[in-house]
Amino acid sequence: MAKGKIVAGYLAPHPPHLVYGENPPQNAPKSQCGWEQLRWAYERARKTLDALQPDVLLVHSPHWNTQLGHHFLGVPHLTGKSVDPIFPNLFRYDFELNVDVELAEACCAEARAGGLVTRMMRNPKFRVDYGTITTLHMIRPQWDIPVVGISANNSPYYLNLREGLGEMDVLGKATRRAIERTGRRAVLLASNTLCHWHFHQEPLIPEDMSQEHPQSFDGYKWDMRMIDLMRRGRTQEVFQLLPQFIQEAFAEVKSGAFTWMYAAMGYPNIPAELHGYGNVIGTGNAVMEWNLDRYGDQLTVHDRPVAA
Amino acid sequence: MPVVSAFLVHGSPLPFLRPDNPPWRTLDAGYRAAAASLAASRPDVIAVYSTQWIAVLDELWQARPHSRGVHVDENWHEYGDLAFDIRCDVKLTEAIIAATPKFGVRSKAVDYEGFPIDTGTIIANNYLNPRGKLPLVIAANNVYHDWRTTQKLASTAVACADSLRRRVALVAVGGLSGSIIREEIDLATDHIASQADDDWNRRMLELIAAGRMPAILKACPQYAQEARVDMGFKHFAWILGGLGGSYAAAQVHAYGPSYGSGAAVIEFTPGAAKRAAPQRTAAKKSAKRVKR
Repeated sequence: MAKGKIVAGYLAPHPPHLVYGENPPQNAPKSQCGWEQLRWAYERARKTLDALQPDVLLVHSPHWNTQLGHHFLGVPHLTGKSVDPIFPNLFRYDFELNVDVELAEACCAEARAGGLVTRMMRNPKFRVDYGTITTLHMIRPQWDIPVVGISANNSPYYLNLREGLGEMDVLGKATRRAIERTGRRAVLLASNTLCHWHFHQEPLIPEDMSQEHPQSFDGYKWDMRMIDLMRRGRTQEVFQLLPQFIQEAFAEVKSGAFTWMYAAMGYPNIPAELHGYGNVIGTGNAVMEWNLDRYGDQLTVHDRPVAA
Repeated sequence: MPVVSAFLVHGSPLPFLRPDNPPWRTLDAGYRAAAASLAASRPDVIAVYSTQWIAVLDELWQARPHSRGVHVDENWHEYGDLAFDIRCDVKLTEAIIAATPKFGVRSKAVDYEGFPIDTGTIIANNYLNPRGKLPLVIAANNVYHDWRTTQKLASTAVACADSLRRRVALVAVGGLSGSIIREEIDLATDHIASQADDDWNRRMLELIAAGRMPAILKACPQYAQEARVDMGFKHFAWILGGLGGSYAAAQVHAYGPSYGSGAAVIEFTPGAAKRAAPQRTAAKKSAKRVKR
């Protein structure tokens, strides 16, 4: 078996509004329009993902929040209706997905060997969270690529930030080892919003884009600062600023997906492609891509963020 | 006052799914004692507030007339499924939704097939309303609502029930100390995560059982912070708001661990605090009798 590799990572946020705005047949509520910049950003990302021809998509979602350890979907085929508990008026989605259980078990075992508490989720009646489903739908609406779903252990909130994100670093490196060991061509999806300051009331017409804008100017400036650094491949600076960004912009990257993805990719100092940025109920969302495949074996894998 | 009984209960699925596990037997038995008391109070409706139903926009209220199905907890999926059968008092819920804007809170009805009713609400309903005969009013925990707003939501729910001549059982679902055990353990060895948390929980339970309202209100913020209490102990605000700020007596039916965090089942007797003197001692003893 050839050694597997991570061919790309995407920052792939999960506002259910994007699915609502798109009106796919799986989602019951129907919209007139909405959040086009982000939806079209995902359309660009879909094309690049398609060209990469991955065997598997791995997604780390903050809306599968676990207390005891890091959990992995471990049922080969999962179906059901996912209703967003926050926005049930926008997202009631009939999902059906296939899980790469072999890779999930490998990730689980590697993370355990790395010192983390891990669990496989084997209950066939489990309802997959809307964050996982929104990210997967937006990046690959055909649902024809197996997935590995990973929970967000609450360690960044329960422990201090350094310890919590330290666990995500370990989880990322374990994910990389598992991918290499199982020979997969893998794409990583970090299901995170950037600035997470949001409005507290929903417009009467949710897709009324005259009501949509950044909730916070400071949060917007933070998003642009971080995106600019990522676009220039300044990974070390990104991670130096990350704690301050999380604190001041209430950034959802605190939940760990971003660190997990970067650690798995080996903290590359490569420029990210920004497919698009937009606001959803005032939060800041960027669809971004790190195409590792383009660099082949020239890419240096780092154990931690280092200067370019 | 239409409130005929009130209960602060935990929302952990563990004692429900594994009632024979020694550390959880007390919590299971306590819930069953509370269920008997609730039935004896003959309510028309149960008004539930669960810390596990998170809202961030507006205040959400469950308004689906009948929800049934199987729920799998996102943490404890390996311990089994949670069947549920929940009816809602839609008329009362609509009245509450219409009333909350008067104090600046916009409310919304949630009436969707497949809506993920939270584990805490399901556990409370399964224990306290096992055949699902009584309708519920179910309020979400908007994480941006403070103690005062939560009290106001409860008092509004009770006032609306009064206007419709409903007898209400108040139920607040949430935990005590929030520190958890982060390692895999033998379930038979489950315990409160730290001695400090255990001490805090016991102190608060004694205060609550004694009905010492000024001391309770003074201690709550410190307790919430130092013991990392579930959602800042806002679920207790639901009880106090619904009871008009005081109660005649309180009995701690159970106290114990849920994978390190604190859990309890407490029954409150509605009424003026001054009538509670003879029962305070008994309630205090009950709290002290709680086994670790």
